[in-house]
Amino acid sequence: MNTGMMNLSSAPHVRDKWTTPYIMRIVFLSLMPATIVGCVVYGLHAAAIIAVSIAAAVLSEALFNIIAHKPSTIWDGSAVVTGLLLALSLSPSLPLYIPIIGSVFAIVVAKCCFGGLGKNFINPALAGRCFLLISFGRIMNTFAVDGVSTATPTANLAAGKAVNLTSMFLGTSNAVIGSSILALLVGGLVLWSMDIIHGQICFSVLGGFTLFVALFGGQGFDPAYLAAQLCGGGVVMGAFFMATDYVTSPVSRLGQFIYGSVIGVLGGLFRLYGSAADSFSYSVIIGNLLTPLIDTYIVEKPFAYRKNALRGLNPDSRKPWWKRIPKPVISLTVITAVAGVALSGVYSMTKDTIDAQEEAAKLDSYKVVAARADTFRAIEAAAEMTGADSGTYGTTFGRVRINEVYEAVDEQGNPVGTVMSITSSDGFDGDVTVALGLDENGKVVGIAFTELHETPGMGMRADESSFKEQFNGKETVLKLVKGEADDPDEIAAITGASITSTAVTNAVSAGIHFYQNVIKGAK
Amino acid sequence: MKKCLERLYNGLLKENPVLVLMLGMCPALAVSTRALNGIGMGLSTLAVLVLSNLVISCLRKVIPDQVRLPAYIVIVASLVTVTELLIKAYLPSLYDALGLYIPLIVVNCIILGRAEAYANKHTPLLSVMDGIGMGLGFTVALTLAGALRELLGNGTIFGAQVMPASYEPMTIFIQPPGAFMIFALIIAIMNAIGIKTRQRQLVENGCDGNCALCATACEKKNPAEKKEGGAEK
Amino acid sequence: MNNSLIMIIVASALINNVVLNQFLGICSFLGVSKQMKASASLGVAVIFVITIASAVASLMYDFVLKPLGMDFMKTIIFILVIAALVQIVEMFLKKKSPAVYEALGIYLPLITTNCAVLGVALTNVQNGYNFIECVLSGFGTAVGYTIAIVLLAGIRSRMNEKDIPAPLRGAPIVMIAAALMSIAFMGFGGLSF
Repeated sequence: MNTGMMNLSSAPHVRDKWTTPYIMRIVFLSLMPATIVGCVVYGLHAAAIIAVSIAAAVLSEALFNIIAHKPSTIWDGSAVVTGLLLALSLSPSLPLYIPIIGSVFAIVVAKCCFGGLGKNFINPALAGRCFLLISFGRIMNTFAVDGVSTATPTANLAAGKAVNLTSMFLGTSNAVIGSSILALLVGGLVLWSMDIIHGQICFSVLGGFTLFVALFGGQGFDPAYLAAQLCGGGVVMGAFFMATDYVTSPVSRLGQFIYGSVIGVLGGLFRLYGSAADSFSYSVIIGNLLTPLIDTYIVEKPFAYRKNALRGLNPDSRKPWWKRIPKPVISLTVITAVAGVALSGVYSMTKDTIDAQEEAAKLDSYKVVAARADTFRAIEAAAEMTGADSGTYGTTFGRVRINEVYEAVDEQGNPVGTVMSITSSDGFDGDVTVALGLDENGKVVGIAFTELHETPGMGMRADESSFKEQFNGKETVLKLVKGEADDPDEIAAITGASITSTAVTNAVSAGIHFYQNVIKGAK
Repeated sequence: MKKCLERLYNGLLKENPVLVLMLGMCPALAVSTRALNGIGMGLSTLAVLVLSNLVISCLRKVIPDQVRLPAYIVIVASLVTVTELLIKAYLPSLYDALGLYIPLIVVNCIILGRAEAYANKHTPLLSVMDGIGMGLGFTVALTLAGALRELLGNGTIFGAQVMPASYEPMTIFIQPPGAFMIFALIIAIMNAIGIKTRQRQLVENGCDGNCALCATACEKKNPAEKKEGGAEK
Repeated sequence: MNNSLIMIIVASALINNVVLNQFLGICSFLGVSKQMKASASLGVAVIFVITIASAVASLMYDFVLKPLGMDFMKTIIFILVIAALVQIVEMFLKKKSPAVYEALGIYLPLITTNCAVLGVALTNVQNGYNFIECVLSGFGTAVGYTIAIVLLAGIRSRMNEKDIPAPLRGAPIVMIAAALMSIAFMGFGGLSF
């Protein structure tokens, strides 16, 4: 307690200059090179994002403290750093409400709810970033150059295209605001040399990532490839500034090494086998989840030994076992039998209605894709290869199954086309079942979904007409492309939903292939 | 009559199964992606709950104590299967929305919990009222959460556009993290209201010894609280 | 091992984590995660019960229920299988390791009502898995459950009630922690080999 006249305090009386505000100031300064480069390269809007993010972080922490009747903590500078880190990890072309929402979430939910600085278990800036990634998937993925949405170097690398290493190193590439590797390294190495961040963490993150990518990336230890992977996707930023956060990383040296390696390996795993270009943030927060365990270091105490202590207290245990069974078992069996009888009654009563429902739903979706059809006739040639028990169709379509094939017939009995039901098990969130309608010449009339449980806002957009109508008129096996579809056999994927798009395209392609090879031949 | 009404109030507010007793969270979190699902699931559970309470209360003197849990489960499982078949036949769109979670009403802790805690000890009439109260409480909680999640995650309530067209839906709220957050929010608000009410009562009536709902730091509640930084086990 | 079999385990453990993604088994997840030891023990018990239950349920369905057309009885039969298995585990633990039995307390019989066990059995049927796939899916699911509950126990062990604002104490803060875990686990989404 400082009364101003006399300093009444308890030990320690000699204080070090390494207080939290001091450390935060140094971290803030070490981020300045990256911030300045970012603002210079990306312009005023980037600077606005940074300013708004920091302001929102500080304000929300101040407000929370007021409402919760807690002493003001904004002066320790951690909110400022969180706001800055979040902003540096965002695309420079985002609308300003995004960093605001992200900062508020980071400070209020990830930090303050748990009791403020030192009590959180997850890196606030990254928690905020992942929150934004999940809430605003499409927007977060827009990196626009002169208003045109362009791919980041990391996305290009994943697609096998060439990347400009120099521009990634300097920070002039099309990426997040804080992407200048040179500037980040300057700041990070300064922090490391001042012993503010631990080498065990940052270097094991980088090492784990590099090793995984080298072993599984398909290009061996090619330095250019490894450098390209390292310089993109927030790896350097994550290694030096995010994973090293004191509160959310382990205390012991061995623990830190394990933690860093896990983050690095996970980062590599997600980069190579995941579907999002932007996954390093998740690796770090998964590492955060492990920290309490690593720190606790579970020690198994030998369990106390109490053999037979409770035997004899339970009256039942004194009876021989064959006498212990009858009464409870009998009543249970009777109840089950009665239940069984009642259930079969209801089942037979509702069976026909349920079956009729399912047929009607299926026919409805078929009518959508084959408008002139009146009835549907089974096709002989198709019988063997279709159905729920049939295996995967073909080898190039992934896990697809042709469920049913019918010939669509109009009122006069003339064949007007074919309808098929095809399921792809390669959907993001389960099976995707497509009802495909082909005309007499094997051209696609339309598609409809009878089963689609993908992520709302992403994969579910496959159900939008803009995507479905692409398939109309196609008559060959199709290829999925990102961006514009120019050739007649190309389909444009939905941004951010490549897995769903692939599953749907494969399903339709399998259907078309089946038609050409099995149906047309039989005609 | 008063006892019946008391059961309703209890289930809706005082011992709301989801928000206070923390039973039945699994379906609550999973299904509340929109307000309509909340009503559908809530009413289905209410139906099963009332019937199960009724049946178990009527049979309470007959079922042997040792197998009561499996017996309840078989009864509840049959009722749920019947409900599932009826919904599948006559309300197919509801069936599509609720899907896997209808059979899970079987293990909905509310049903077994109330069977164990109430129905096997009270008369059929009171058990039915308890079922209705708990079912309504469940429905209200689910619908509220569903409405909030639908509003934030989709801009609509019951399918009607409420948010302005420029609102960019935050899809996280119709996904798992959002479920946890919305329920945490609702329970926190209820707690806050509860704490304020208690504090007002304290000021008006003085301490009545009920420490469980009290947030005030005082000697009676935690006599050992003077120890700073006690390690949490 | 076949790639798709590995995918089944990874998918059921991490990508579609039973607790953080499918919301099955929440009651015990929120209740038991207060203590690390109990969480680890519950996790092991759950792995045992779910793996065997998946296997038995798969056999029952393929060889008894489906051929006899009694698909609608699956819920009841599965539940009875699970209840029996839990009883066996209980008796086994009581005899061989009384301390663990005591530590688990009420949560052992509650595995019977753990939505996760029944949920996995029903999902296996829905996905049309064969026997091996059922067992692996059950095993993966239970491993995912154990991972989630142990991680949450670790997190809760360093949470101090006094730091947390009053309305958030108890259930709300645990659910916020679960929300953050769920966000982290969404990083596994879309992973495929």
